[in-house]
Order: sequence, then structure tokens, then C-alpha cells
Amino acid sequence: MLKAVYRIAWKDVVGDLRRRATLSSMLFFSIAVLVVFQAAFEPDRQAATKLLPGLLWATVLFTSLMGLGRVFQAEEENGAFEGLMLASVPRGIIFLGKWLGNLLLTLLVQAMILPLTLILFNVDAWHLIPHIFGVLILGILGLTGLGVLLAAMTQAARSRETLLALLLLPLVAPLLIAGVQATAGVMVPDGQPGPWIRLLLIFDTVYLALAPWGFGWLVEE
Amino acid sequence: MNFLARIQRPLGIITLLALGASTWMVFNAPLDFQQGNSVRILYAHVPSAKMALFCYILLTLSSIVYLWKKNETADILAEAAAPVGAAFTAVTLASGAIWGKPMWGTWWAWDARLTSMLVLLILYMGIMALRNALDEPLKAARATAVLAIIGAVDLPIIHYSVVWWRTLHQPASFGGSSGNPSITGDLLPPLLAMAISFILLGGYLVVLKAREVEAHRQLEQLDVERMEEDD
Repeated sequence: MLKAVYRIAWKDVVGDLRRRATLSSMLFFSIAVLVVFQAAFEPDRQAATKLLPGLLWATVLFTSLMGLGRVFQAEEENGAFEGLMLASVPRGIIFLGKWLGNLLLTLLVQAMILPLTLILFNVDAWHLIPHIFGVLILGILGLTGLGVLLAAMTQAARSRETLLALLLLPLVAPLLIAGVQATAGVMVPDGQPGPWIRLLLIFDTVYLALAPWGFGWLVEE
Repeated sequence: MNFLARIQRPLGIITLLALGASTWMVFNAPLDFQQGNSVRILYAHVPSAKMALFCYILLTLSSIVYLWKKNETADILAEAAAPVGAAFTAVTLASGAIWGKPMWGTWWAWDARLTSMLVLLILYMGIMALRNALDEPLKAARATAVLAIIGAVDLPIIHYSVVWWRTLHQPASFGGSSGNPSITGDLLPPLLAMAISFILLGGYLVVLKAREVEAHRQLEQLDVERMEEDD
């Protein structure tokens, strides 16, 4: 079972690294978003430090939308979705495989975006990178869990990328609030990220428990 | 479904009478000492807020029944509940803003209730958009049902996260937003009457919409059959 999860995830990650489809577009899109933020807010150093949690999470959200739009695209284009569904493992396992693949790609991109943000916005928070990245991981677990389910939901829809954004953005509002507050909490010495990290964990647990089950209902014959 | 056709007209007449009577009661209720005439907005605001949530509960329950029993009537109810709920949510937000301008001095505040209501409206829109964007009826029914259930799980999380966010961040800006003053004597009967009228209204609208959805599906079915005959 776990082997199947790993195989599906590996197929997606390797396939994507070879085509450089999702990874490069997510990365360059994130740079574009950062440029937009810089142009829109023109923060000085102090303001940038204060804005950083929000900027970071908005960038994460927008770039992961790009990645999510492509989760089932390869299968859809090659008519391989039915083949994947015929695999002799529970549907939840297939979901976990797709989720893990997307999670790894998203984390890879975020690992590049975080230092990039610090450089582009002149924020001196290098010693805090492990903390900030830890919070990012906690948020991305739930974000990709819910996101991959919504991607499966909208894969056959008309104008699916717009629809995916319309569905995902309101549903992840708590994640965004908790993520921004937790990041801000770890960035200042007397911050209190505790309750927000707990909220992130609640969100992760709920969605990672719910999503495989929902996926099973979605693709049922 | 025959049942819906039979109750549609009597339910409509009762709804109309109830709405008329409770409107009359509202305009004969005493004015609030501080709020003056604008307190009357609340007689429409509070019931429609309740109905916005009731419709979502109906939507969630029908979605669960649909996924579980594969019952088409449940799916029709789910499809009918979404636009009605969205309408009540929009009325709630609009009437709240109109009341808020003179009372709080602002149309909008990022308070927990207001934020959850706004998210609820977007969620209703998303559910309707998802159903419209999927061509295959079976897929559309399943996808919207799963989405509705996810939304039902998400709404409390959204509500509490915004409550936390606001309370940890800054004290609530408006006393009236979270601590509603308890309503006394003379204001209660018209509010109850309005609540009953709105429940009737919501039921009537769902019945109307459900019949429309059913007729629409029958038409499409006929279309498919005709195409098959032509071939």
C-alpha cells in the first residue's frame, strides 16, 4: 500500500522534474508575484519585515494554485486517469500518492521562494529560516491536502483553473490566517505562535483525514 | 416530487399572508430607544441570517443522503438549496451593511460573523459554479456533494479562526457585533413572526427551485432520448 503511494508520488515528481513543467512555472510565477508586491507596496526595510508573513503566505497560496492546476493534467491529457483508477489499491491510496507528489513539488518550490523573498525584500531573517520553513511545512500539508482534492473535483470542469481558485481561496482562509500569525509569531522574540500552530495542525488533520475519503466518493464508478 | 407540486401553491399563499402579517407587526412595534427606525432592518436581517445557515444545513444533509443512498431527489434538493441560501446570505450581508452604516458608522468590519458570512456567500457561489462547470450530471452531483460537506466542516473552523484572530489581535471594535443586546418584550413577537415567515419563504423558494431543477432535468433527458431516436 505504502509502496503504491510512493510509486505514484515518485512518478509525478520525476515526470515533472524531467519536463520542468510545474516546477519552473511555479518558481517564475512566484518571482513575478514578489515583483508585483514590491511595486504595489514599496516597503522599506522595517515595513518589509512587518509585511513578510503576509507576503510569504500570499505567494505560497498563489504559486500552489498553479501547481494544483496541473496535478491531474498529465493523466487527463493522455487519458491515463482511468488506468490509474484501475490500479488494485484503494482510491484513498491513489489520492495519497497524488497528494505526496504535489506536496514534494510545492515544498521544493517554497524552499527556493523563502530565501528569494528575504533577498528581494531586504529582510534580515536568515537565522529564522528553519522556524519560518517549519511553519510553512505545517501549512502546506493541509493546503495541498485540500487543494489536490479540489483539483480532482474540478479536473473535468470548464475553466477549471479559475474554478479551483474560487473554491480553494475561501476554504483556506483559516489556514492563511493561522499561517500568517504563526509566521509573525516566530519572527519576533516575544511572539506567541503556539495557538496558531495548533490551528494549523487542526486544519491539517481535518483535511488529510477527510480528503482521501472525499476522493473515493468523487471517482466512484 | 408530486408532493412538491401539490404543496407549492398553498405554501406560496401561506408565505405571502405570513410575510404580510409580520411586516404589519414590524411596523407597529415600538421603536428602539437608541436605534430609532433603523432597528426595523434587524427584523429582516436576523431571520435571513438564520435562513442562510438553515439552507446550508439542508444542503449538507441532502448531500450526505445523496452520496449515501444515491437518491436523486436529495440531489435535486441540494441543487435547489444552494441559490436560495446564497440569496439569503446576500440579503444578510446587504441589510447588515445598511444597518451598520448609521449604527456603527461603517458599512463593513472584519468581525468574525461578517467574515464567516462573506465566506459562506463565496462558498455558495463556488458550489453553484462547480455544478454549472461540470457537463456530466452524475459527476456534477457527486462533486458538489463532496464540496458541500467539506464546506460544512470548514465553516466552523473559519468562524473560530476569525474569532481567535480578532480577539488575540485587538478587542472587538463594536460591542453590538458580538454581544447582541438581549431583546425585550415588545420587540420579540414581530421578530418571531418574521422568523416564521422567513422559514416559510425559504421553504417555498426551495420548492419552487426544486421543481424548476426537476423540469430542467426531464427536458434534458427528453433531449437525449430524441437525439438517440434521430441516430
